[in-house]
This record gives sequence, C-alpha cells and structure tokens, in this order.
Amino acid sequence: MTTMSPNTKTSSDAPIGASLPVYGMMAEFETPAQIMEAAKKVHAAGYRFWDCHVPFPVHGLDKAMGIKRTILPLLVFGAGLTGTTVGFCLQAFTNAASFSVWALVWVSGYPFLISGKPLMSVPAWIPIIFELTILLSALSAVILMLVMNGLPRLSHPLLSNNRFRRATDDRFFIVIESRDPKYLRSKTEAFMKALGAKHVEAVEDR
Amino acid sequence: MSASITTVADLSDRSIIGDARLSRTSRAAYAIAFISLIAAAVVAWKQNDPHGFAMIWLQNGIFALTLALGAFFFTLVQHITNAGWAVAMRRVAEAQAANLTWIWVIFLAPMFWLLLTNREWNGFGHGLALVWPWADMAHLSAESPAEGAVVSHKTAFLNPTFFMIRACFYFAFWALAARWFLATSRRQDQTGDATLSTKMRYAAAPALILFALTSTFAAVDWIMSLSPAWFSTMFGIYFFAGTCAGGFSVIAIGCLRLQAMGYLRGVITAEHYQDIGKMIWAFGIVFWAYIAFSQYMLIWYGNLPEETVWFLARQVGDWAWVSVALLFGHFIIPFLFFVSRWTKRWRGTLAFGALWMLAFAWIDIYWLVMPVVPPDVATFNTYDALAAAYATTSTGLSNPLNYLMMVGFVGLSVAVATGRLSRGAVLCRRDPRLNESLQFENI
Repeated sequence: MTTMSPNTKTSSDAPIGASLPVYGMMAEFETPAQIMEAAKKVHAAGYRFWDCHVPFPVHGLDKAMGIKRTILPLLVFGAGLTGTTVGFCLQAFTNAASFSVWALVWVSGYPFLISGKPLMSVPAWIPIIFELTILLSALSAVILMLVMNGLPRLSHPLLSNNRFRRATDDRFFIVIESRDPKYLRSKTEAFMKALGAKHVEAVEDR
Repeated sequence: MSASITTVADLSDRSIIGDARLSRTSRAAYAIAFISLIAAAVVAWKQNDPHGFAMIWLQNGIFALTLALGAFFFTLVQHITNAGWAVAMRRVAEAQAANLTWIWVIFLAPMFWLLLTNREWNGFGHGLALVWPWADMAHLSAESPAEGAVVSHKTAFLNPTFFMIRACFYFAFWALAARWFLATSRRQDQTGDATLSTKMRYAAAPALILFALTSTFAAVDWIMSLSPAWFSTMFGIYFFAGTCAGGFSVIAIGCLRLQAMGYLRGVITAEHYQDIGKMIWAFGIVFWAYIAFSQYMLIWYGNLPEETVWFLARQVGDWAWVSVALLFGHFIIPFLFFVSRWTKRWRGTLAFGALWMLAFAWIDIYWLVMPVVPPDVATFNTYDALAAAYATTSTGLSNPLNYLMMVGFVGLSVAVATGRLSRGAVLCRRDPRLNESLQFENI
C-alpha cells in the first residue's frame, strides 16, 4: 500500500483554491462574558439563522440569544396522554369488548373471568396504562428532541473548520449562517468584528 | 421582583438575619396555638369521648410530626447528594426539622400517662388500649376472639414495653440528629468552615438509613397497629411518601412567607421554587400515588379477607368519599396542576399548590388513622350486605376538635420554628455552595 500524497483528494472534495459556497460567518470569543454580550447584539441586530457554540453550558445564553422555549414538553405530555388512552382502550377492548358492527360482524375480545373480578377491572389495568404512558413519553421525548434538533446528522460544515475545533475546549463561537435574510458577507463580517471577536472568518459549506 | 443576588457579598443583614419580624410571627403563632389548644380542651371536656379525643390527638400529632420529618428528609437528601441548588432554602428546612427536638412531648407524655395510670377505659381495655387495641390482649380476645387469636402471635413485637422502648428510640434519634444538623449548619454560619459540609455529608448517609428504618417502624407502630390483625409491607413507604407531601410543601410555604416578610429577597428565585415544586410533585404526588396504588392493587388483586378489611373500612359509608377525594385531591388534580413548569415558578400558584397538598396530606393521615375495621366483618356473607349495614358510617370530619387540635399542633410547630429562625441567620450564609445556589438556573 502506497502512502497517499498530501495533494491526493477524494473525488467529493473540491480542488484547492476553488471557491466553495459559504456556510456562514464565524466569530471567535475568549470568554463566556464576551459571547454573552455579543449574542445579545446579534439578536438585537435581527439575525435569525445563527447559533452559539460553547465548550460548556453558559447559563443565560439562551435568554441572551432570544431563544423561545421549546414546545417539546407539551408534545411529550400529549404523547403521554396518548399512551394512557391507548393502554386503557387496548385492555378495555381485549378484556371487555363485545359488540356488533351494523348487526353484521360480531366483535369480541378475549373475555376471561379471573378470580371473580369484573371484566372491566380497571385497577388491574393501571400498571399497563402506566407503563405505556411512560414508554410513549420517554420515546417521544428522545425522538422528538432529535428531530427538532435536526439529528442525527453525519456531517456539518463547521466540523471541517480547524479553528472551530476549540469549541470543545476553550473558545466560544457565534456563527451567522449565509441563508439568513440579513446576511451580507461584507456587512456581517464588519458587524462581527465590531462585536469584539478575537477572530472572524467565513466558513465554507463543505 | 427585586433584582437577583448573584454573590454572597451582595447579601445584606436585613435580608438574612432573623429579627423582630420573625419573633413577632412566632409570638402570634404561639398565641394562636395556645388559644386553639385551650378551646380544644374545652370542647373535648364537653364531648367527653376519651377514645375519640385520643385518636384526634394521635392523628394531629402524627401530622405535625410528618411536617418535621419531611423537612428532615429534605435536609439529609441535600447533604448526601452534595446539592448546591437547595442551600438557599436549606435553613428553612433545618429549622422545621428541628421541631423533632420537642415534638416527642406530644406523643410520649400521653403514652406514658396512659401506661402508668393503666386505667380501664370503658370499652377499650387498659392503658394504651385506649388507642392501640393490642395493648390489652385479654380485652381484645374477649371482644373479638378471631382477631385476638391472630394478634396473639404478634405480642412479641406488639407489647407495651417494647412499644415504648421503640418509640423512645425513634424520638431520641430524630431529636438528636435534627438538632445536630441544625447546630452544625449554624456553626458554619459562624466559622465558615467548609469541612463542616463534608462532615454533614458523611453523617447524612447513616442518618438516612436510620431515618428510613425509624419512620417505617414508627408508621407500623403508631398507625398500622391500630388495626392489629392487618398488615401491609408497603405501609412504611406509604407513610414516608405522605411525609414528603406535607414536609416539602411547608418548606415552599415557609420560603414564600419569609420572602413576603422581606427576608431572602433575590436569594430564593423562581429557579429554587421550581425545584422545590418538582420535589413536591415527584415525592409527594407521583411517588405517593405510585405507592398508594401498589399497596391497593396487591391487596385488591389478592382479595384475601384478612387484608381487604382495611380498605373495606375505608370505603363504607362516608369514608368512600374521603378515599375518592384522596385519589383526586392528592394525585390527579395536583399532578396536572404541578406538571407545568410555570405553576411551580409563579409564587401565587406555588403557594396555592403547596397549601392544597398540605390540606390533603392532613386528610391522608386522617384516612390512615381514623377508620375502624368493622368488628363484625366476618359475619357478613357479601360485600353488599356489609356496605349496607355500614352505609351510615360517619368520618367524624365535622368534629371541630380535629381542626382545633390541628391548628394547635401545627401552630406550635410554626411558632418554635420561626422562633428558632428569629435567633440566627435564615440562610446558610457561609456554606461553600451558596454562590452556586444563588446563581442556580434550571436548564
């Protein structure tokens, strides 16, 4: 096996020097306090497609960014209620259903008398209703969280930027995406420099 | 809302040192408590029902005890988990838990009096049998031979001597531990010694084990043995869950009151209230319902007469309404009310929810202590026949003595706790995690 020369590129990579579409403008900050101030200004400037990347949770940053609360809890509550309803109906049907559809089809579950309890023995159903409520809440919480975050995602333009690697270590980044209606390369770059960033650069969309 | 305080240096003395505002509250609570207790004595004298009065005494004593025990558990859990968030409200819990240093008087004084006088109570047997039927086995066996035969196998555990020894042990542990945790925390106020936090964390582990054992056995001794033939292995944990409902609610109400009086402004924020709300929701509402239902379902499903009689006593006559009220009032309604983040963060809704839970914690204890298993239960062939015979069973909730005694005992608890707070800081002001607590935010 021969070693690959540094110039060898896989076919999917664009050749060096060709201009790639720009994903966005990235500003690098050194402290949480700086990015907090900067985030307030970016929000005030009316940008919509932008995000902060920090190495650890910075309390109050989401407030500074003007992010609205997620509706995930409401969806999870709905999923939980669905689980409750499904759990009840499932057991009511299988244990105690017995009805005809338009006098043609006789629909029946599996009515078994167990230790003399009535067929509609709700206390005995509670564990299953409870488990289904928990199951649907937990699954929907995880899955909806992933969906609403656009995950799973195998690659992201920021991950191929070398400077951005320090977002997991000791630097704080704000990235304004080029799809933002207010994005104008020269203006956004000047704006981000005025925020007091240590470094501003365009991130290629690769 | 006043501006949030983010570091220890911003704290003013007026905000964290107990003063005349608290001692006034304490004096008012003493006055209300003593007036209520005197009124209760007058009413009890007129009613001339020693057994009924003793049961009301026991029920309200246990209610006041659960409020202190819940706060004690809260303190221990915060220590053992090394939790930062709760430091801002921990002193309130510690002061409330320190009621354990005197609350034994409510229990042990009448117990010893009953034991020492050993009087024959008309229809209830000698001594402690005024409340606990097993205390006079001769009387119990004469009244109900079947029950006597069952209970006679339990006398190695259920006998007045061992009962009193156990009671003294529970109270000794609670009093000493609650006192030590408050005193150590206060010593840290003076010295700022961070190793005291570590010490309390180490002490919290054995204390929690002993707390679990003592509260379980206390519930079995004082409440479960009221129906001595009956047993449930989940009884202790059920009592514990109810304890959390009442105890945590009082912590929330205490913090809200302190802030209304001008203390801890900006120290305790919506973030802390949301978390104490979560604790009420998780332990007092959801866990309580989980345990209550687990206990009910096993007995309902097994359908053994010796076990079902206990629930039978709680669904005949007016007791059925109390049982349904508990299901809705202690679980379904507060579950939906407190499931939202906002109801826990807004002071008004938190205060309402906590008071609601406090009321139902009281009803829960009432439901545990007061109903009597029909003595002739074995003579009925069907449930319907028994339900018809006992259709007019009254709950006794209309008796004003219940409420006078409740105000008396709870008033005393409030008076002593606020009195304690008025003589020191209302905040663990030099706890090493205080800054973390001040800056705490829910993500």
